[in-house]
Amino acid sequence: MGVLYCLMSLGVNFIYGIMKVINWAIGEFFMIGAYVQYLLIVFFLGVRYWYIGVLIAALCTFLLGALVQKILIKPMFVGIIEEKMEYATIVTIAMAILFRNLAIFIGGPFIYTPPDYAPPTRIGPLPVSGNNVIAFIGTIIILAFFFYFLKRTWIGKAFQAVSQNRPGVLTAGIDVLKFDMIAFGIGTALAGAGGALLAPVLLVYPLCGVIPTVRGFEIIVIGGLGSIPGVFVAGLSLGIAESLGAAFINPSFVDIYGFGLLMLILLIKPYGLFGKPERSV
Amino acid sequence: MGKTENLFLFFKKWSRGKGIEEIMNSQSRPLLDIKNLVKDFGGLRALSNVSLNIQKGEIRGLIGPNGSGKTTMINLITGIYNISGGAIYFSQDRIDGLQPNVIAGRGVIRTFQIPRVFKDMTVLENMMVPALCQQQSMAEAKARAEELLEFSLLTRMKDEPAKNLSGGQNMLLQIVRGFMKKDLRLYLMDEPFSGVHESIKGIIIKNIKAMNQEKMITFLIVSHEMTTVRNLCHRISVLHKGELISQGTMEEVANDPLVIDAYLGGE
Amino acid sequence: MLKYRFNSVGLLLLLLIAIVLPFYLADYWIHSLTVALYYVIMAVTWNLLGGYTGQFSLSHHTFAVIGSYTSALLIIRIGTPLWMGIVSSCIFNAFISLLLGILCLRMRGIYLALTTWAFAEIVKSYIRMDFQFTGGDRGLNTPLFFKTIDPLPYYYLFLAFAVITILIIAIIMRSRIGYYIRAIRNDELAAQAMGVNTVRWKVFSFMVASVLASMAGTLYGHFIGLVSPVLGEFSEMAFIIIFVVIGGMRSQAGPVVGTISVRFLAEVLRKWPEVRMVIFASVVILIMRFFNGGLIEFLRKVYQRIRHGKDGESVSVFQKME
Repeated sequence: MGVLYCLMSLGVNFIYGIMKVINWAIGEFFMIGAYVQYLLIVFFLGVRYWYIGVLIAALCTFLLGALVQKILIKPMFVGIIEEKMEYATIVTIAMAILFRNLAIFIGGPFIYTPPDYAPPTRIGPLPVSGNNVIAFIGTIIILAFFFYFLKRTWIGKAFQAVSQNRPGVLTAGIDVLKFDMIAFGIGTALAGAGGALLAPVLLVYPLCGVIPTVRGFEIIVIGGLGSIPGVFVAGLSLGIAESLGAAFINPSFVDIYGFGLLMLILLIKPYGLFGKPERSV
Repeated sequence: MGKTENLFLFFKKWSRGKGIEEIMNSQSRPLLDIKNLVKDFGGLRALSNVSLNIQKGEIRGLIGPNGSGKTTMINLITGIYNISGGAIYFSQDRIDGLQPNVIAGRGVIRTFQIPRVFKDMTVLENMMVPALCQQQSMAEAKARAEELLEFSLLTRMKDEPAKNLSGGQNMLLQIVRGFMKKDLRLYLMDEPFSGVHESIKGIIIKNIKAMNQEKMITFLIVSHEMTTVRNLCHRISVLHKGELISQGTMEEVANDPLVIDAYLGGE
Repeated sequence: MLKYRFNSVGLLLLLLIAIVLPFYLADYWIHSLTVALYYVIMAVTWNLLGGYTGQFSLSHHTFAVIGSYTSALLIIRIGTPLWMGIVSSCIFNAFISLLLGILCLRMRGIYLALTTWAFAEIVKSYIRMDFQFTGGDRGLNTPLFFKTIDPLPYYYLFLAFAVITILIIAIIMRSRIGYYIRAIRNDELAAQAMGVNTVRWKVFSFMVASVLASMAGTLYGHFIGLVSPVLGEFSEMAFIIIFVVIGGMRSQAGPVVGTISVRFLAEVLRKWPEVRMVIFASVVILIMRFFNGGLIEFLRKVYQRIRHGKDGESVSVFQKME
């Protein structure tokens, strides 16, 4: 499960790295991905083609994310908005509320259960749910694609440049605003794909994005804001902390151990494992 | 390179010594004493082994080409960055490692290259902030603020939010705000004259001189404007690529081959 | 000076109306108004933190929940008297907010937002999970403050508490601390370079807001007679932000005006809870995008129009602070 949460925090961290904006509505993009997936496999594609559903869900959330960026986040960078952080926080929180309630309004407050992607299997002697295996493998594939894109392609390199030095890239003739839009779309698409992959595990309902988002944000704070390697180390350590806590203390409070780890990290390394205080002068 | 050549000509043209022998030769211990200061950013060494001391009552100029570490130096003295090596003493007490607000509390105030005023607060409210940090009463602080604003010809703007001021007025406000600190002893100014109109520059200089003479406040001024630095500063230190290459009066500095090399030689 | 006096006369008049009003209303509306007053306290205190200090706590509602649960649990499980439950819940919250504040507020504000958001969800899920101790989703029945379900005494209790809260915040903002926290929001580094102990005053503001919120939450629990995790839902936090933004951030009257008007609308639209949230969220986005200042700024502009004619110079909300 730890890997899946990485998908969420990667989405948030990628956007933050480029735009210095936290997308508080990331859980809602996760939820939208799950809904799209449910609609697709129940009414159009059938459960056999669930992987196509994941792609379409990712595409939908990408488009929605890009649209949201164009309408709401872009004004921050063309000089209309004065209080950038405040604006971004409030607007994305309002967006989260908007999406949640739209979901309740359209789909009702019901829990939808999509059919299983795969039957239960065994790894060695342990019986595991096929859905979990698929979600795990699917996430790894998505992450691999993401990193290939970031490290190997021209656009990926441009993204790295934007995250390091905005004005510099502007003078190098790259349209930063367009990149912002794509980056926001990619960040939300990561969440959307996660939602689609996890639909049979976490089920589909208006608040299904909340738990992954909590984990996602915990991972970000533990790993360090804006740090992509931090996401993986933090994801791993969160997973370990939760299983240790569940094994030795009490399995029903699994949510709390991660937060305990977060507090501990904040105490020792205030900017997270890989985060750095920013040069601000 | 054309610009640095001009700077060099300024050196030559205006290099006449300004004697304040009584300060320079004073036997008392320096107010600010920097010993073997080192600062690394990742692999980049921004300052290496810089030692500098400033006597009480002195106006010191700090010059150097872009990227030579002048602003880093101010950030280190005021505690905004942590030092990588060496030590900073302020009136015999070690101040490196302290929080910026503690250092400010000791009487070390700075300005920023890009004016950092409190935009949503009025000019008068901006002035009040440093004074109130020192347990001055509201009325006392207000009276002092009005006096200073009057002296700086900003009275007209006192109830405007600072965001409505022009760039030069912002710089002036930023500088005058520092004088609100009652026990101000060392004032570090980062490019106080950049992007500032002549008339405002005059007010800033007037302020610095008055404060220096009346209250024996010590200044460290980073600037590119050689004319002003020459007129204002008693002594000048030159930074180049993170090292202190020369120190002395403008005349001595301008004739130092190392300085000439730094400004004219290829970077 | 004249304007100031006019303001205080106006405020007294408003207070008088608030005192007399319940005699002309049905119990249902008194109840609604009391709930609205609870939210006024939450909004006003959050405005101190998110608006003036610029530190986004997203667990403001959680402090209310923790407050109400602490008090309820102490009374039910140990049998402490009511007043002791309230006092100790305040102390407990002060401790938690101090801990969270010291851990998060050394960094930029965004860390506080991330951590408190996670904190809010964790507390909610703990309350749900540990049902043997906390009562889980069903919640806990707590003793009533006045031993009656008639809303009238509670209305006055909350009115008094709201007035006190507003006064406390007005006093803070007019004191030197007000200068500090506004300076911190504007430019933290510059404030620090001027000698403001930024961490201390951020933690101070966080603690004041959190303790007042927990106090409100505790009283709310003893007014409804039931504490449940519903108050810990994120939509509660969203409501607080909605009230403050629609009313007008960084003004003292804004959150009050915003809360009362939005609560009123929410009552009217209570048959369609999703629709009303969609509407409020959209309004918040529109206000943030196009009209930064909220209702109070709008009222001010209208007032200026009437007073000075068409060319009346607009005064920003942010300048209002004396």
